[in-house]
Amino acid sequence: MDVILAAVGDAFTWQALLAIVIGTWAGIIIGGLPGLGSVVGLTIFLPFTFGMDVITSMALLIGVYCGSVYGGSITAILINTPGTPQSAATTFDGYPMTQQGRVDEALGWATFASFFGGVLSCVLLIFCAPQLAKFAVNFGSIEVFALVCLAMLCIVGISRGSLLKGLVCGMMGFFFSTVGSDPITGADRFTFGTYALSSGLDLIPVVVGAFALSEVFVRFSARDEEATTIPEARLRFPSLREIGRRLIELVRGSFIGSFVGALPGTGAAAAAFISYAAAQKLSPRRANLGKGEPDGIIASESSNNAVTGSAFIPTLALGIPGDVVTAMMMGAMVIHGITPGVRLMADQAQTVYALFVVLIIVNVAMLILSKPSIGLFRYLFKLPLGFVMGGIVMFSFIGAVSVRGNPLDLVVAALTGILAYVLRRGGYPLAPLIIGMVLGPALESSLRRGLLISRGDFLSFFTHSGIATTLFVLIGLFLVWTVAAGILDWRAKIADRRQPAESGARSATTQEGRP
Amino acid sequence: MKSLRYSLATLALIGTTHAAVAADNLEIIVPFAAGGATDIVARSFEPTFSQQLGVTSVVRNVAGASATVGTAEVANSEGNPNIIGYEPAGALSIQPSLKKLPYGPDSFTYICRTVSNPMFLMVSKSSDITSFKQLVEESQDQPFLYGSSGPGTLPHLAMAATVVNSDLKAEHVPYSGSGPAMNALAGNEIQIMADTETILENYDLRPLAVFADHRVEGYDDVPTVEELGLPALDFAVWQGVVAPKGISDERAQQYAEACKVTVESDKFKSFADKAKAGIAYLGPDDFKAFVQKRFETNKQVLEDAGLAP
Amino acid sequence: MFASLIHPRVLTALALLVAGAGLSITAWQGPESAMLVPRIVLTIWCVMALAILVGELIRHAPRQPKASPRVARSPLPLLMAAVLVAAVATASLGFLIPALPLVALTLWLFRIRRPLPLVLGTILIGGGLWFLFHHVLMIRLPALLTSGLV
Repeated sequence: MDVILAAVGDAFTWQALLAIVIGTWAGIIIGGLPGLGSVVGLTIFLPFTFGMDVITSMALLIGVYCGSVYGGSITAILINTPGTPQSAATTFDGYPMTQQGRVDEALGWATFASFFGGVLSCVLLIFCAPQLAKFAVNFGSIEVFALVCLAMLCIVGISRGSLLKGLVCGMMGFFFSTVGSDPITGADRFTFGTYALSSGLDLIPVVVGAFALSEVFVRFSARDEEATTIPEARLRFPSLREIGRRLIELVRGSFIGSFVGALPGTGAAAAAFISYAAAQKLSPRRANLGKGEPDGIIASESSNNAVTGSAFIPTLALGIPGDVVTAMMMGAMVIHGITPGVRLMADQAQTVYALFVVLIIVNVAMLILSKPSIGLFRYLFKLPLGFVMGGIVMFSFIGAVSVRGNPLDLVVAALTGILAYVLRRGGYPLAPLIIGMVLGPALESSLRRGLLISRGDFLSFFTHSGIATTLFVLIGLFLVWTVAAGILDWRAKIADRRQPAESGARSATTQEGRP
Repeated sequence: MKSLRYSLATLALIGTTHAAVAADNLEIIVPFAAGGATDIVARSFEPTFSQQLGVTSVVRNVAGASATVGTAEVANSEGNPNIIGYEPAGALSIQPSLKKLPYGPDSFTYICRTVSNPMFLMVSKSSDITSFKQLVEESQDQPFLYGSSGPGTLPHLAMAATVVNSDLKAEHVPYSGSGPAMNALAGNEIQIMADTETILENYDLRPLAVFADHRVEGYDDVPTVEELGLPALDFAVWQGVVAPKGISDERAQQYAEACKVTVESDKFKSFADKAKAGIAYLGPDDFKAFVQKRFETNKQVLEDAGLAP
Repeated sequence: MFASLIHPRVLTALALLVAGAGLSITAWQGPESAMLVPRIVLTIWCVMALAILVGELIRHAPRQPKASPRVARSPLPLLMAAVLVAAVATASLGFLIPALPLVALTLWLFRIRRPLPLVLGTILIGGGLWFLFHHVLMIRLPALLTSGLV
C-alpha cells in the first residue's frame, strides 16, 4: 500500500501533470491530422524526454500515445478520413452519423468510449497484469495463427455491399504486406530487381493514400456540391441513461481491446476491427450497424483505446513490446535506466505503479481536453474547402515520408490514393485492404513459424493446444453461421425477385456514392 | 480561435528549445525507427559528439530492409561532409554477403566503433539443461529449435555457426525481434537463443557458453565456445560510426577525435552503464580492419551454413 | 456487348484480374518456401476478381453504360498526376520544391483563385508546415542540399 501511495505522489508532481496536459493535447491534434499518427507524434516528442526524469518523460509519451489514438476518431467522424489506422473502423458508423447531422452525438460517443476503454484497461493492468502476462505466454505461433485467422474473418462482416469485392481488397492488402524481404528466409519478394522495394510497403503510406488522398480526390470530383461542406464539429456527451443502455457494448469493446493488446505482436488497429466484427454478431442493434449506429463507434473506439493500457502488459511484465509504439516507449524507458523485463515489477514496483496512475490521469485529461481540441478542428474545418484539402495533401505527404524517412513511401501513398479512388468508384470497400495489410504479416509469419515448429505438419495445428483448438472451433462456427445467414439472405432475395431491376439499380447507386 | 492561439504558442515554445537554422548542420543517420535499441544509443551519443565538432546535429531515422536502406543512404552521399551513419553490425558485416546492395564494406570512411557486447548461448531457466554437452546429447533424438531476431541477424549466424561446427542438432525459427523470440522461449516453442547480456539479464535465462575469445567479467563460470571444443567463434553485437567515402582526411580526423572524446565522456559512460552497452572503442584504422575481418568471417559462416546465395 | 466492356466498373474488375494474374506468374517463379503465402493470396485474389468480372458483366450487359459527363470533363486526372509527380520528384528535389506547386495547384483547383489567398495559402500550408516539421520539430524530410537546409 505504501508503494502505491508513493507512486501516486510521484505521478502528481506539477512537472508530470504539465507533461500529461501538453502530451495529451498534442497527441489528440497529431492523431486528428490525417497522415500523422502515434509513431510520428512519439518521434517528435522523444528527443524532449532526454532531459526529464522517468515519470515526467513517460507521462509526456503516454499522453501523446493515448491522445493520438483518440484523436484519430475526430477526423474519421468528420471527414471520413481516419487520422490514424487505429480509427479506420470508426468511419463505418461515425461518418454516416455525420451525414445524418448527428456529429455532436458521434463525437460524444467516440470521446466517452475512448475514455471508458482507456480507464477499464488501466484497471485491468493494475489488478491482472501478471496473470494476463502469464496467459499471453501461452500464445505461441500456432495460437497466434488461429487468432489472426479468426480476426481476418471480420473482412466478411465489414464488406458491406459485396463480399467478393471485400475479399479481393483484403487479398490486395495482404499482398501489399508480402512485398519486400521474406520474414523467414530473408529472400526478396516482388521487388522486380528494385533495391528500394526490398524494405517493403509500410502501413502508414498505404493508409494515407487509401483514406486521406482518395478522400481529397472524391471531394474534388464533387467540389461544387452542397454535400462536400464539412459540418460544424460539436461535442455532446451521452447522458447516463444512454450510457446505461449501451454499457454492455462499452464493456465488450474494452475487454476485447484489453485482451488483444496484451498479446505481443498485435495492435490497436486489429483490436478495433475484431471488436467491430464482434458487435456485428452480438449487438442488439446490429441491424443498424454501418448506417450510423453509435454501437459501431463504441466498438471501435473503446477497444482501440483499451489497447493503450494493456499494450503495456507484455512490455512491462515481459519486456516484449506489442507494436512499434510500445517499442518506442520501451526505448524511452531504457534511456532512463528502467529495463522492462520479468524482474521489473519486483525491482521497481513504485515506478511501475506510478506509470499506471499516469495512464489513468491521461485518460481523464483526454476527456477534459476533448472539447478544446474539437473546437480547434471546428475552426480548421471552417476554412474554405481548398485550404482544408491543401492541408490534408500536405499532412499526408509529411506523414507518409516521416515514418521511415524513405521518399519511396510518398510514391506508394500517391499510387495507393489513385488506386483507392478507382476502387471506391467501383464500389469496393477499402477497410478490408487495411485489415489485410495489418493482419497479413502476423498471419503469414505465424503460419510459417508454426510449420517450422510442427515440422511441416499443418494438421497438427488443430490439436496443438487447447487454446488453438478452441479458436479453430470458433472459426468453424463463424463460417457455418456466415454461410447459413448467406443462404437465408439468398432465399429472401429470390423471393424478392419480382422487382430485380429496381433493387439492382438502387444498390448500384448507393455503392457509387461514398463508401 | 482561442485554442488555435494556444497551440501556436505551444509550438513556438517547442521551437525555441531547438536552434532552428544553424549554419553548420550534421545529419546522423540511424537505420532503425526511433526508440529502437540502436537509436537510443545513437541519441545518447549525439549531444556530446556534435558539441565536440561544434555543429548542430539531427538524428534522422531511415528504417527498413534490415537496416540496409539507411546504410545505403550514407554510402550514396559520397563526398558529403555533413552526414554520418550510426551503424549496427549486421548492416555492415552481414547483409552485403546476403543480397545485392548498393554498397559494400569498402563504401565507407570508417570513424570508430563505439560499443560491443559479446553474445551468449542461452536456454530457458525452466529447462533442466545446464551444460552445452548435455544440450548436444539431448538434441540427438529430436533436434532442438533455436530462435533469432530475424533471418541473417547475428543471433541467427552465431547459432548457425555453432550447429555447423559441433554435433548439436538444431533448426532455425526466426522472429521479428528479440522480444517475440523471448516470448517463444518462455512458452517453450523454441529452446535455444543466442543474444547479449541485456537479454540474458532481463529474462529468465541460463547462459551455457559465450561467443568470445575469453571469459566475460561477471559470468566467470560461463565457458567460451573454444573451451567446449569448438573452433574459436567470436560473435558480438557492436555498433560504430561511418561516414561516406570521399570526405577530406581533415574532416575524417575531426570525426575520429570527436568520437573518441564522446565515448570516453562521463555522460556516455553513465548511459552505457544503464543500458548495459559495453563500451569498446576502436579508432578509424582498427575499426576498418575489424569490419573487414568480421565481414570475411560472417561470409564464411553463411557459406558453410548454406545461407549465402 | 462491346459497349458494356468499356464500362468503368468492368474495366476495374478486368484490371484487377490482370494484375493478380501477372503477379501470380512472379509468385510461381519464386522460391517455394518464401512464396507459399503469396501464392495462396494471389490465387484467392484471381478467383475473386474473375467472379467480380463475371458479375459486373452480367449486371451491366443489358444496360447501356451512361458516360458520366461530369467525370469526363473534370480536371481530376490533373490533380492525381500532380500528386504523383510531386511524390516522384521528392526523391531528387527534396520535399519543399515539389510541395509548393502541388499545394498551389490544389488550392487553385479547389476554387481558391484570388491571388492573395492563393499565395498566402501556398506559403503557409506548403512552406509553413515544411518549416515546422523540418526545422522546428526536427522531423527531417527529404532535402535538396547536402547540408539538409532546404
